[in-house]
Amino acid sequence: MKDVGALTEVSMLILLSLYEPRHGYAVMQFIEEKTNGRLRLGAGSLYGALNNLADKGWIISLSEADRRRKEYIISDSGKQVVLGEMVRLKELSAIAEEMTKGACL
Amino acid sequence: MKKILFRYFYGFIESQQRFINRMAEQGWRLIRTGRFIYEFESCPPGAYQYCIDFVGQKSYAASNDYRNFLEEMGYRVMTKPINTNVSLGKIRFRPWGSGWGKISTTPGTFNKELLIVEKENDGQPFELHTTSEDKIAYYRMLRRVWATLSIACAAFAVFFAVKNEAPWRIIALGIIALIHLFPALQSHRTLMHLKWEGKVSE
Repeated sequence: MKDVGALTEVSMLILLSLYEPRHGYAVMQFIEEKTNGRLRLGAGSLYGALNNLADKGWIISLSEADRRRKEYIISDSGKQVVLGEMVRLKELSAIAEEMTKGACL
Repeated sequence: MKKILFRYFYGFIESQQRFINRMAEQGWRLIRTGRFIYEFESCPPGAYQYCIDFVGQKSYAASNDYRNFLEEMGYRVMTKPINTNVSLGKIRFRPWGSGWGKISTTPGTFNKELLIVEKENDGQPFELHTTSEDKIAYYRMLRRVWATLSIACAAFAVFFAVKNEAPWRIIALGIIALIHLFPALQSHRTLMHLKWEGKVSE
């Protein structure tokens, strides 16, 4: 699969939240909870991000019939993207550890 | 108790948002809006927070989908016109729209360019656009909308001047073009600032 570059933190968190089916509000809560309130996502930004991820095919919208509460779930290609991002983050973290070793905190 | 106020904010979305939020702080909840009218009813001071979003570039289906999404989030959503379209009966042409968003109809997206979103105050700041990626897209769209309108009016003014039309028409159009230029420049400034910030962190 082609290289997608670094994901934004929000995209990564949305993808992770959708390993279980969730609707918009639940995604917002997941992100706030997991980041201990550091990241509070606005509804407009969340809407745009969900649509972008759906356009890319990384998440799938469920329950089209029930228009009131649209749920999403991560797709197989979305899971691939998450794995790729994990490798990138580990590399970055390894470089950071290597360079800061011995430096006082 | 109810209160009706007459205000006109035109393209200055942020000033309008500040006005409604100030009213809410003083204990007035927005219940209805018209072209120039804001109707409030008394509520505990600071019980609600408001955010205004521009959706005039969206098609009917897209703006409805967005509205449903916001309502799912537990917000109350009202609509408000900005009065800047070229109209032909019940169909309007919005040169700044995207795709089918260029055509506006009644009933439909006509007179519903702004969404006024109400949230019960939970002590947290209320913002709809929070990520820099999304903010940049939003302000870029706003800049395009206002710049298109300004250029269109300026072009008409030049056209009238060439055709030797009455000077008041040329002057009026020139003034309208200038009025549209302000929100365009405001959006441009915000956009440049966001881009500069985005170079270091997302």
